[in-house]
Amino acid sequence: MYKDNREYIKALEAAGELVTINQEVDWDMEAGAIVRKVCEEKLQSPLMNKIKEYPGHRYFGAPLSTYRKLAIAMGLDPNSSIPEIANVYLERTTNKAPVKPVLVDKDKAPCKENIFIGDEADILNLLPAPIVHEGDGGRYLCTWHFIVTKDPDNGDVNWGMYRQMVYDGKTMTGPLLPFSDGGKVFHGKYKPAGKPMPFATVIGPDPISAIAASAPSPIPETDFAGMLMGKPIELVKCETVDLEVPANAEIIIEGEILPDVSLEEGPFGEYTGYRTSPRDMRTCYRVKAITFRNDPITTISNMGVPTDEGQLLRSFSLGLEMDKLLRSQGIPITGVFMMPESTHHLVIVGVKPIYTNIAAQIAQTVFGSKLGPWFHMVVVVDDKCDIYNFNEVLHAWTTKCHPGTGIHIWQGVGTPLYPFLSAAERIKSVGPKVLFDCTFPLDWDSFSEVPSLVSFKTVYPQELQDKVLANWEKYGFKS
Amino acid sequence: MFKYDVFINSLADLPEGKEIKLSVRDLSPGLQKYAYKHVMAMVSPDADKYPEKLQVRFGRGQVHNQPYSIQVVKEVSIVPERYL
Repeated sequence: MYKDNREYIKALEAAGELVTINQEVDWDMEAGAIVRKVCEEKLQSPLMNKIKEYPGHRYFGAPLSTYRKLAIAMGLDPNSSIPEIANVYLERTTNKAPVKPVLVDKDKAPCKENIFIGDEADILNLLPAPIVHEGDGGRYLCTWHFIVTKDPDNGDVNWGMYRQMVYDGKTMTGPLLPFSDGGKVFHGKYKPAGKPMPFATVIGPDPISAIAASAPSPIPETDFAGMLMGKPIELVKCETVDLEVPANAEIIIEGEILPDVSLEEGPFGEYTGYRTSPRDMRTCYRVKAITFRNDPITTISNMGVPTDEGQLLRSFSLGLEMDKLLRSQGIPITGVFMMPESTHHLVIVGVKPIYTNIAAQIAQTVFGSKLGPWFHMVVVVDDKCDIYNFNEVLHAWTTKCHPGTGIHIWQGVGTPLYPFLSAAERIKSVGPKVLFDCTFPLDWDSFSEVPSLVSFKTVYPQELQDKVLANWEKYGFKS
Repeated sequence: MFKYDVFINSLADLPEGKEIKLSVRDLSPGLQKYAYKHVMAMVSPDADKYPEKLQVRFGRGQVHNQPYSIQVVKEVSIVPERYL
């Protein structure tokens, strides 16, 4: 496992998953365009060593945009299958003691190699914030990062991935949605009290910390990262706020979220693959300090049509946290899979349908959880269907789901980023949720009423299947 | 060459002949390119009426095909003094 992004980059290079670019790249759209093409074609991560107007700075794009990269980040064989990666994630983070972080001294923290406080801490003078897409409302420095905040009452720390746009050298702005963990504390506690909320933005964390920050687990992200990594995350105290940040991160921005100031933010090319939420008044971050490593590496994720790391990792972790939730309720699921290509809007759940309306129970449980706002489609298939095989899922969906009785719609909490919502729905963060029940009714007689699946595995005797498979290459097919 | 751009919901947000408050992006080349300024300004759909060119964009970033002009009267701070 990798203590920082730099070790991870070396591992990607060793696995053939890195392209090093030594010619100068412009921060004004060129770097973004490179990363976008990489995402759409599922290519290697680019490491850009020369950034126009920012000597000594580097970019690392699309850090975790494929399952192959995710496997490497988790210390697995790059060729691991999705269920294999998922099983390791579940094994490391289920029914295990939290692995608490450790605090290290400032002189052992690479992120303190360069320290700028007060007027010197000017984002645009110091950091190569990119224009990620043409038409974006500003320079999005923070696309693959997390924001550290603390609950003022109980001291609970949150790491959340909430985008941040540079407003000017001392100010950033971005949506801190009220139903997110960080948003609940800001909108529910600091803002009503009229107090600024201290924050620290961590850019270029080690890949495991990034995975933890994007995972909607009830376990604190600091501990969750330690569980995934198998050892404690090293933290160091901030310079100007009472927060701790990963000592091996590339760049730290410290400051306060102002309770009574809103600034225009957006538009931005978003994870749904659209520029949906129009420009709006959003949260204001004032910068007090910036620290970074020598030759700092700014990470860039480029949201758009699939697949970027936000889509892939949120699909991965949302699905697996739903897996844990449903099993904790005793529901006999076989697994949960979210397709990144659905921009984590579609959940596929496999279940042994042992009682009527089990699909509705599944949908109500996941839609009603804190995970619910991030997706709106649940497809429940039976235990004979491989949830990772979309051909099988699509077949079940289009043949078992009764259009009149198998589709159920609820109103729920949505995100303002859903492209299909009206402007009024976006403002209220509401949206419809839909269940596709792709299980046959239990009261159908299994002999006379349930249709028989016609497939190689189900309609031929086992001996004949074995014979055909044994002779497959002799017939002239490749195995 | 545009000196500033501005994001608006509709062209009605840019009335001519009166001083209005705007958040504009400074498009001057260099490290501070795209930094926002909160300004009081006069604007016009006549691209030559005021000294600087203003590019107009709508809420999702769409570029308006007609260049405007702008005269910045003064910069104003949107962040209260106590936070500066």
